[in-house]
Amino acid sequence: MLFDVELTPRKEIPSWIGYITPIATILASLLVCSVILLALNVNPIKAYEMMFIQTLTTESGLIFTINKAVPLILVGVAVYLPLKAQLLNIGAEGQLLAGAIVGTWIALNVSLPTILLIPLMFLGAGVAGLLWMAIPALLRTRFGINEIITTLLFVFIAQRIVSYLVRGPMQQPGGNFPQSASIPGVSQLPEVPGLGVSVGILLATVLIICVYIIINYTRLGYEITVTGANDRAAEKSGISKYKVYLFVLLAGAAFAGFAGINEIAGEEGRLRASFNPGYGFTGIPIALLGRNGALQVMLAAIFFAVIFVGGSNIETLLGVPSEIIGVLQALIILFLLTAEFFKNYSVSMSLKSASKGGPRDNTDVEGGA
Amino acid sequence: MSNLIAGLTSTTVSATTVLLLAGLGELISERAGILNLGVEGIMLIGALSGFVTASATGSYWLGFGVAIIAGGIFSLIHAVLCISLNADQAVSGIMLTLLGTGLSTYFGSSYSGASIDGFPDIAIPILVEIPILGSALFNNAATDYIAFLVFPAVWLLLYRTNIGLEIISVGEDPETANTMGVNVVRMRYLAVIICGAFAGAAGAHLSLAFTQIWSGGMTAGQGWIAVALVIFARWEPARLFAGAILFGGLNAFQLFAQGFNFSVGAAAPLAEIINPVLGFVFNPTIMSTYPYIATLLVLTITVIRAENRELAQPSALVQTYNQQGE
Repeated sequence: MLFDVELTPRKEIPSWIGYITPIATILASLLVCSVILLALNVNPIKAYEMMFIQTLTTESGLIFTINKAVPLILVGVAVYLPLKAQLLNIGAEGQLLAGAIVGTWIALNVSLPTILLIPLMFLGAGVAGLLWMAIPALLRTRFGINEIITTLLFVFIAQRIVSYLVRGPMQQPGGNFPQSASIPGVSQLPEVPGLGVSVGILLATVLIICVYIIINYTRLGYEITVTGANDRAAEKSGISKYKVYLFVLLAGAAFAGFAGINEIAGEEGRLRASFNPGYGFTGIPIALLGRNGALQVMLAAIFFAVIFVGGSNIETLLGVPSEIIGVLQALIILFLLTAEFFKNYSVSMSLKSASKGGPRDNTDVEGGA
Repeated sequence: MSNLIAGLTSTTVSATTVLLLAGLGELISERAGILNLGVEGIMLIGALSGFVTASATGSYWLGFGVAIIAGGIFSLIHAVLCISLNADQAVSGIMLTLLGTGLSTYFGSSYSGASIDGFPDIAIPILVEIPILGSALFNNAATDYIAFLVFPAVWLLLYRTNIGLEIISVGEDPETANTMGVNVVRMRYLAVIICGAFAGAAGAHLSLAFTQIWSGGMTAGQGWIAVALVIFARWEPARLFAGAILFGGLNAFQLFAQGFNFSVGAAAPLAEIINPVLGFVFNPTIMSTYPYIATLLVLTITVIRAENRELAQPSALVQTYNQQGE
């Protein structure tokens, strides 16, 4: 071991680090990803040009991106809200599926005019997402059972319930495919007149503004932030940790439910066995990238929307397996976690002196070498 | 009927092997205080690297070895992030699964659907002659026998060796372990690498012995069942062994249940109530939720029943250990 590594926790995080982290993270991920592209003889510059420039400079690309950003914003909030209180909702995917199931059921079984039906579908989906979180939230607040494992287990249960329903009770009557009937036209999300994008983006924007106001300008938001910073101090100052935990988990889950019905009513048009968007997990890097605020969550979600849309572009045009999107997503999380470390610790390295070790033998980082 | 029982038992053995290998690795890692949600991804890396190596060289043993090494190396990412960089273990694990799933499908796309002559079944003389179950239990791939031998080995490692005691101590109380002279960082690295090697082996068993094909995402959630299994077993190897057989058996039963009609005769009392219930309970898709529901129940019941709200969970699980002691 050649280097002596000294780690000191930063007392104050310089503000520039907060801004540089997301950008540096994304650049590093793209760099590593280009090596992976090269391995399959794909020119990374060409691939990235198609992925980003083409997506952002064509009208269809922009419309796709905005529509794709809607569910991502919603699942981003589903992870962001709990994260504010230092909880991790890993199971947004499950709540999303619960929302999709109930929303689809309402669309298929309730006849109302669009103006009433769509709000009812979103309401139903939000409640379904919330209920899907109810047990993990109760176990967390009542018995202190870690929400990570429980929300995750509920994802797998939800996936299998979808698979069961579209082959059984919700299967299209007379159909052979594992899918529900198409939802009627009145239940599909209309476009914003003149813009070509789904009204989902308006809803997502309004919801983001609500979250922003709640977090920054209300008593509840203050309590969430304080609990997240130091739950013991929060309790001493009379804040009910349970109330905060219940709120962030359940409200977050409702957002994931919205994302589910948005996908059905805006994109898919029916519930399929293959409906497995994986967005729930994308919510994690979105919330981590945007952890500084609700508006940053929205930006991060739009960035991921570009990756999703651009990724399917390069799949069709260059024949790159679309899994490259998953890889890029994972790399972004990887570098975010690394960046988090350098944000919290200042690291100084010095050549190790010949006499063994410094004052303290910090094997911490050396172990990784 | 005896054919059915033999078939069911034989599939159970193969399915159990996957869960046993992956679960034991996860158990060792969690006993050292590191939750590894990357098992699913590591298994896929193992399955692909083993498959590609075996296809290229013709040696399934070499494939199995490469899968173990690849799993160990891949899990190093998790170790560096969680142990050296104090990253959130759950997020890092999810990342590892995304990365492993993505990379294996990306690089494996040209092998998709390819099959291989993998581990042949080896019959154990005399024992295989036992009626009905003999051919199911004693005519399996080498990897099955390995898994069933690894279980006692892990038990001995954890409870009867210094390394095992040190692993447990860093998962329970790293600060005290450190003052007792245990190198916390080294033990945790070791545990995470073992976990990766085991998951790699589980993946290779899947692609080289159980199914003998490669297809993207072929683990189909078994890595997640392995994670659930460790909680189901409340971090005890013996209970994990029993749980792996239970979940593996359930997995095998699902495959066979599709051909069955679970119902009582229409003349039986309450048939119109019982039959739909039976149909639901034995629906293969519904049955595949049972491992997760069982895990949730075990988790909840254990915590509620224990007066002090204590789970058998390693005390320092998911907590970062800071050598600087801030």
